Amino acid sequence: MSAPTAEHAASEVEVPQPSRRRRLDAGTAQRFGLLVVIAGLVLAFGSARSAFYDQQLTVFPLLRDIAVFTVVGLSQMAVLSIGHMNLAVGRMAAFSAMFMGLAYQDWHLPLYPGLAIGLLAGAAIGALTGWIIAATGVNSFVVTLAMDFVLLGLVSLVYAQTTTSAAFTTKPAGMDALRTYSLADVCAGPLCGSPAVPQLLLFAVLAMLIVGYLYSRTRLGRELLLVGSNIKAAELSGIPTTRRVIGAHALSGTLAALAGFLLAVTAGSFTATIGSEFMIPSFLGPVLGGTLLTGGAVSIVGTLLGTTLTQVIRQGLTLLGIGLESLNIYLGAILLLALSTDRIRTVISQRRAANPR
Amino acid sequence: MSTPVRLGAPGRARAQAGARRFARSTEMTLLAVGVVGFTVLAVDSHGSLLHGNAIRDVLTYLTVPILIGLAQLVVLAAGQMNLAVGALGGFLSVLTAGLMADHGVPAPVAILVAVLAGTLIGAANGALVVATQINGFIVTLATMTILLGLQYRVAGTRTIDAGSAGLRRFGSLSVLNIPVIFMLALAVAAALAFFLRRAVAGRQLLASGGNPLAAQLSGISNSRALILAHTLSGLIIGIAAVVTVASAPGVNKSIGGDWLLPSFAAPIIGGAALAGGSVSVLGAVLAAFIVRLVDVGRAQYSLDPSWVDFTVGAVVLGTVVIGRVRETRQTRNASPRPGADTDTEADADADAEADAPTVRSTA
Amino acid sequence: MTAETSPSPAAPVLSAERLVKTFPGVRALDGATLTLRAGSVHALLGENGAGKSTLIKILTGFHRPDSGNLAVDGAGVALHSATDAVRAGIAVVHQERNLIPEFSVAENITLRQVPATRGLVDRDAVRTRAQRCLDLLGLDLDLDAPVKSLSVAQMQLVEIAKALSTDSRVLLLDEPTSALTLAEADRLFDIVRRLRDQGTAVLLVSHKLEEVFAVCDTVTVLRDGASVLEAAPLAEHTRDDVIALMVGRAHDAARLAPRPIPADGPPALELDRVCTASGHRDISLSVRRGEIVGLYGLVGAGRTELAKALLGLDRVLSGEIRVHGSVARIRDVRQALNTYRIGYVPENRKEEGVFLDQTLTTNIAVTVWTRIRRALGYVPRRRERELAVEYTQRLGIRSSGPDQLAGNLSGGNQQKVSLAKWLAARTEILIIDEPTVGIDVRTKAAFHQLIWQLAADGLAILLITSDLPEMVTLADRIAVMRDFRITGTLANDHDYETASRAVIGLIHGADPAKSRNQPHSRRPA
Repeated sequence: MSAPTAEHAASEVEVPQPSRRRRLDAGTAQRFGLLVVIAGLVLAFGSARSAFYDQQLTVFPLLRDIAVFTVVGLSQMAVLSIGHMNLAVGRMAAFSAMFMGLAYQDWHLPLYPGLAIGLLAGAAIGALTGWIIAATGVNSFVVTLAMDFVLLGLVSLVYAQTTTSAAFTTKPAGMDALRTYSLADVCAGPLCGSPAVPQLLLFAVLAMLIVGYLYSRTRLGRELLLVGSNIKAAELSGIPTTRRVIGAHALSGTLAALAGFLLAVTAGSFTATIGSEFMIPSFLGPVLGGTLLTGGAVSIVGTLLGTTLTQVIRQGLTLLGIGLESLNIYLGAILLLALSTDRIRTVISQRRAANPR
Repeated sequence: MSTPVRLGAPGRARAQAGARRFARSTEMTLLAVGVVGFTVLAVDSHGSLLHGNAIRDVLTYLTVPILIGLAQLVVLAAGQMNLAVGALGGFLSVLTAGLMADHGVPAPVAILVAVLAGTLIGAANGALVVATQINGFIVTLATMTILLGLQYRVAGTRTIDAGSAGLRRFGSLSVLNIPVIFMLALAVAAALAFFLRRAVAGRQLLASGGNPLAAQLSGISNSRALILAHTLSGLIIGIAAVVTVASAPGVNKSIGGDWLLPSFAAPIIGGAALAGGSVSVLGAVLAAFIVRLVDVGRAQYSLDPSWVDFTVGAVVLGTVVIGRVRETRQTRNASPRPGADTDTEADADADAEADAPTVRSTA
Repeated sequence: MTAETSPSPAAPVLSAERLVKTFPGVRALDGATLTLRAGSVHALLGENGAGKSTLIKILTGFHRPDSGNLAVDGAGVALHSATDAVRAGIAVVHQERNLIPEFSVAENITLRQVPATRGLVDRDAVRTRAQRCLDLLGLDLDLDAPVKSLSVAQMQLVEIAKALSTDSRVLLLDEPTSALTLAEADRLFDIVRRLRDQGTAVLLVSHKLEEVFAVCDTVTVLRDGASVLEAAPLAEHTRDDVIALMVGRAHDAARLAPRPIPADGPPALELDRVCTASGHRDISLSVRRGEIVGLYGLVGAGRTELAKALLGLDRVLSGEIRVHGSVARIRDVRQALNTYRIGYVPENRKEEGVFLDQTLTTNIAVTVWTRIRRALGYVPRRRERELAVEYTQRLGIRSSGPDQLAGNLSGGNQQKVSLAKWLAARTEILIIDEPTVGIDVRTKAAFHQLIWQLAADGLAILLITSDLPEMVTLADRIAVMRDFRITGTLANDHDYETASRAVIGLIHGADPAKSRNQPHSRRPA
């Protein structure tokens, strides 16, 4: 991410060079800053409590949480890309997890077909939400807030009807293994991975790769960004904006479903409360990572880093025995700080974009 | 020209009558729904809902929904949102109770502290929105996170009993089976309605929410209106917190956790425009009553509490969708002047403006 | 009609001298001077981009000039905000509606200075004061009606009443009639004359010369940011003088070489008695390959709406659209582009044409992604950059490279980007809407050359412009629109005199009674 702008200016436009968006520069700086802060915190927590480096006790669960919440962040990022928001991230996860639980308990499906059903359910509920927003033009905030409560009620009702203890207890084969397996269980001949890296992380990496590919390399993803950038111009450039709005929300729902699955695997059961803690982290990750709130730009790596920062703080505070009650105070303060930088960035980019009349 | 110009008088009168009819109908509909709903429930409970105790119960638990609805309404009037309604209310509740229980602060002082703290935190929300120029949604999301932490820090895992007999008496006192705290909520509603209708500051707040550019060109400070809205919101939440402490047996870390949707449900069902500039205090109070009826009905038929969330969510969704459809139809009907295409263009622009900034600003 | 009175020159109420205002890339004002006197209606004329709106914005405290003097009653003033302007006695009626829709007429009128006692609105005083403003204008409106229930014309009048609510001695009217019918405009000008007789200094900004000559006493003409005619009595000038001053050398229209227009085969685009949901009636029009057909009309004639109907953004109720001879049913822009090869360069480039926060590459390649994508929707970066570079060079877009953000380009270059995406998409029919608004003269000439070249390369071009010299320079045929109908089509002989006379005739000639009183119905009967 270096591509100095002066070079472009000097070499003019003759040779097509590998593309590097200029505006990422500010974002790159922000992500680099995040990385430094994370490294500093890791060192600080590590020197205060050497248990912070314990692969089994700290690193493994930390990475597992990062995996879950990065996917949650990506889910929010998908709608932020078009300038919308999804307050129902958590409940969409719960809704999809409910289908997975049903699939395992009542339909006796194996692990991955059940997951597929859950992802489909997430995509469907996301698409429905997107459709309501696109068709009525009502603010995404209100629609997703109301949807949140509809799903909250619905999910609790279904659990009350179909389970005895508000949880699906049936575990498909491989679910427990998935929870505890690390890369140490993945061997290529004599060479095995690190025991500190949970296999669940691979789901998050896969999601990041797919979403990253989508936004940076495909027509669909780039059109989503343009809808976020300027919906009128997008429409007049031949982009089917309604379909893209629905698509962004469907993507958000799918990723929420995946996050719900990962959390259920981590917790060991599918419960109605899955996702109830998703809302705030879903914004923290992308916003800290430099995804614009106004749409038109996203950062996948930033979302990972933003999520990592919040999880490192959480893990560190727990280890220091400070207690989680302070966690939210710090996170909120960090979010406020990040907002100010976001604002500064916007002002700068606006000033740059300030047009001659 | 000596004769007065009369422009499309019949059309205007009609439009006006229509507008008046509509304005009336939103609240009338709510009133009708409320009355019918209550009657059905009362009849079906063989009159037990009409007993003094039952009435008192219904109204007591209606107090907080009305107050948080008003707290949200006043920011909606300025075209803002306050996500921190629940977190602020929760924090102030445990703060008030904690001050009395842990530090022996006398009730009046604790109440004063809560209301003042609410006002100040509200003002801080507004100031942050103005300073960062970011929509209130995300700013209040951040302050909400902080307040949740503070609430947890004060309350921990315990349930705090304020232990003030006087306050408790105030919470359960009723005149003619009407709880005093409920009257307090109505008084707050009346005061807010008066403020928004008659006070210069209130009109300016609404003007700023209705058309910020026009307000600015008329010499109204949008920043001030915005801070004022958040400050009032904080003040009303402070009152809601005091009422909570007075009427609940104890407060803990989960107080306020379920206030978010009800706070939006009341003003939105009550007819508030999300884009700002148009709210109905009466509508919000009636809507809160109807939401309360859903809960009463749920209890009466021993249904799962989840039905309430489901129903309220669905009703809010239905309200915004129907409201939007009606709005579109109205703007279509209200452009009786096809003589100029700037007309439609301007309408389209106004629509886009209503959409775009919300879409953008919500983000 | 000419000015009825020639008031003896009173002392200037408002004077602006040698104002200079530079925006990044453009010198909007370059020594503009304006003098307004009490009891006189003054016209401010100039082509699009001549600096009129910048001047108005300076007078109302929106912008501050880089240099130059502003004086009210001979004393220098600095206007930092709208409030300052109100305090200085300057009131403005903007093109945009600046009313609070939910508030009553009375409240909107008095919004600048709300009568109040101890923080409470004095409703009686609000009504009295508002009534006084309405009386001043001779208007009869329901004081308690919410503004959102009014018609556009009524809103416009409320705006004027609002401008009068503070004791303003200077009234700026910025295109006040753009949303009014002729009859309504007449009433408005009666009011303006009355205000003038009461001693108000009125400034009228309008692109409609008829109304300027009907109500104004004096005139200032801006060209390229400078005053080329200062406070001259309008009676001493003819319409043609004024036009000549406004357009300057562009008047003797830069003549472009003639182009052969192949007459074989069916037209590229043909409209046959098309009626649309937004109110077009029996629109028949055809554009051949290599031909530029101009669509001229006043603002509000329905030209942009017609373009949008051709893109599938408005419903076609009856009639036929044919593309290369076969009937086209266009549902949306994507289909217009991919199936019928129709492109549209919108009028408002910043809001509809370009993605300011995206790179040049993205802006140009957005229309070709569908074509160049491979499996899994993969868009090859190299291919898209090559296209961007190719069109950047072909159109002479001045940028630091394909990764520059579109928002950092100058207005002219942004407009070229807005055009480039359609060329990259290999459109065959191009609708270009007001291509040179807000673009300086030199870039404008280059742009004309470019559009000419595109036609020479075989594109069928439908050119929408309110800029008559531009129309005369470029168009092969001119279709004139009024009230969502085409009133006539004429061959353009590229002679400004004859062409402009013919066009004006088509706009105002036919059926004047109808256009005065009977706004056409936009919905099908």
